Amino acid sequence: MIAGTPTPSTVVPAGDAAIRHGLSLRGMIRSEWIKLRSIGSTWWMYAALLVMTVGIGTQMSSSTSFAWLGDEQPTQMGMQAAAVNAMILGADINVLVVGVLGVLVIAGEYNTGMIRSTFTAVPRRVPVLLAKAMVFAVVTFLVGILSLAITVPMSIGILAGNGIDVRLDDPHYWRAVIGSLVYVVLVGLIAFGIGAILRNIAGGIALALGLVLVAPIALGLVSGVGPQLVLRNVSLLFPINLGRALTAHPGYPDFAAPGEPPVRLEGLLVLEPWQGALGLVVWVVVLFAAAVVLLKRRDA
Amino acid sequence: MIEAQSLTKRFSTTTAVDGITFSARPGRVTGFLGPNGAGKSTTMRMIVGLDRPSSGSITVNGRPYAEHTAPIHEVGALLDATAVSGGRSARNHLLAVAATHRIGARRVDEVIRLTGLESVARKRVRGFSLGMGQRLGLATALLGDPATLILDEPVNGLDPDGVVWVRQFVRGLAAEGRTVLLSSHLMSEMAQTADHLVILGRGRIIADAAVTDILADAGGTTVAVRTPDGGLLATALEAHGAGISFPEPDLLSVNGLDSRRIAEIAAQNGAVIYELTPYAASLEEAYMALTRDDVEYHSAGTPREATR
Ligand SMILES: Nc1ncnc2c1ncn2[C@@H]1O[C@H](COP(=O)(O)OP(=O)(O)OP(=O)(O)O)[C@@H](O)[C@H]1O
Ligand SMILES: [Mg+2]
Repeated sequence: MIAGTPTPSTVVPAGDAAIRHGLSLRGMIRSEWIKLRSIGSTWWMYAALLVMTVGIGTQMSSSTSFAWLGDEQPTQMGMQAAAVNAMILGADINVLVVGVLGVLVIAGEYNTGMIRSTFTAVPRRVPVLLAKAMVFAVVTFLVGILSLAITVPMSIGILAGNGIDVRLDDPHYWRAVIGSLVYVVLVGLIAFGIGAILRNIAGGIALALGLVLVAPIALGLVSGVGPQLVLRNVSLLFPINLGRALTAHPGYPDFAAPGEPPVRLEGLLVLEPWQGALGLVVWVVVLFAAAVVLLKRRDA
Repeated sequence: MIEAQSLTKRFSTTTAVDGITFSARPGRVTGFLGPNGAGKSTTMRMIVGLDRPSSGSITVNGRPYAEHTAPIHEVGALLDATAVSGGRSARNHLLAVAATHRIGARRVDEVIRLTGLESVARKRVRGFSLGMGQRLGLATALLGDPATLILDEPVNGLDPDGVVWVRQFVRGLAAEGRTVLLSSHLMSEMAQTADHLVILGRGRIIADAAVTDILADAGGTTVAVRTPDGGLLATALEAHGAGISFPEPDLLSVNGLDSRRIAEIAAQNGAVIYELTPYAASLEEAYMALTRDDVEYHSAGTPREATR
């Protein structure tokens, strides 16, 4: 039978399958979107993401004020940093949600066996991994944007009530707020990469959450100078600290300890926001590269 | 057209497929037979690239499956019915697979109708019976209207209606000129469905021939003769070159002579005959004879001699 020649048929009518399209990235993206939206648990997790962002953002905003300064006035930079602080705390919780979801999206397919149907339809495999990651990242980003679109105006309103006037022409504010979302999306992709490598839900979630939360906390307990300083600098490479860099606001010292000279530990590195973003991207790229190599080699 | 060349698959401890060469041609049903663990499923998974061959090659219409631009229009595969996400409805599962090749919802509804899944199409797959799962697997395989079909034990779990339906369906597909590779444990099923058999044992090919040839080679016809004059008749028949055995005191099992000749010899010798029954060797017996030494897992308590 010549490829692309439809078989005249009575047993199986060709129907719409008579028109033959080759595999395309467009088709694979659509397929992955159908898969993502047709599993109920996905939407529960995205609902959690939205509720958490709005809930924590508004809660933090209402409990933030400079009343404790007494007669002193906070600087504008300090107020901006306070607004950022209120907005980004939710991201540290959201990374746990996407850390689980990112693993589920890919390892879940191995768990059910669906991956064999997927790879039968797309035997080259790698494009389907990229399509899946893309759909997951875009949907997560859109849910995140929606959450921020709700939370930012609420936060600003609540902060104004607490005497904190947020200036919206502050690029650092927007970079930090959008950065918190980029951080969440990239952690989702890190978890996705881990899930693709391990192909196992429980192991994947354990490793993803371990990387995002447990390891940096464990290392963060070490403080001081000397060799431990090295450890602290190394711990900057963990996603959580890269996220911190991405969401940092230069006015933070004015918010945390107004009027005092900023303390800087000798030898302790401070990452620029772009370095934080780059670090997260490197994590994603390295994990995806490993996943792709394994994907080509292993039996499904 | 499926062609395997010195195809080999080794897992860490076992060689599941051991250098097999065979082809499945258009227009006929090629039956893939073999005891448990013979390597049938492994071979079928290699056809669509789910397992990587350790060495050798397997192509569909002249190319490795992964190199086709529209794979599911080329090959439809039902490998295991559990390759589905339980939380998704059957229709969404089909829509997702179809979307990769930009096949639309109309075709999805068409294969749902074709496989009799209308009533459960919007239900979650998790609650499906084995037979429903098989039907969904078959529906998935048919999405692209492929010229080649690979079906691993498609009747597994189907009710009698379903079995008959699949049999006719598969025959129809071959009659349309499609290539069908079908594995099954049911030899009787194969006799009714397949034109050609590839029999595997421990990863190697034991037989690769037309069903009719395999039956003919299995020792021809045996005639059962019920007679009170067993000793007399046996001697006379043996003089004419027949092979004789006595399954029961007054029952002769005669090989090598047909019923007509046996009756003539009996008349010449004055032997009384109550009953004269020719038995064609069944495909089942032929298969047992072929694979006797290649069965990997013998049932406990069944000595090999019992099959003789
Ligand atoms: N992923 C795997 N890892 C290790 N061994 C495997 C794997 N898959 C199959 N095998 C082994 O390869 C051999 C062939 O298995 P396969 O499933 O192909 O047999 P089969 O002919 O389909 O058997 P059945 O009739 O029971 O379905 C068996 O010994 C099996 O244990
Ligand atoms: Mg099998």
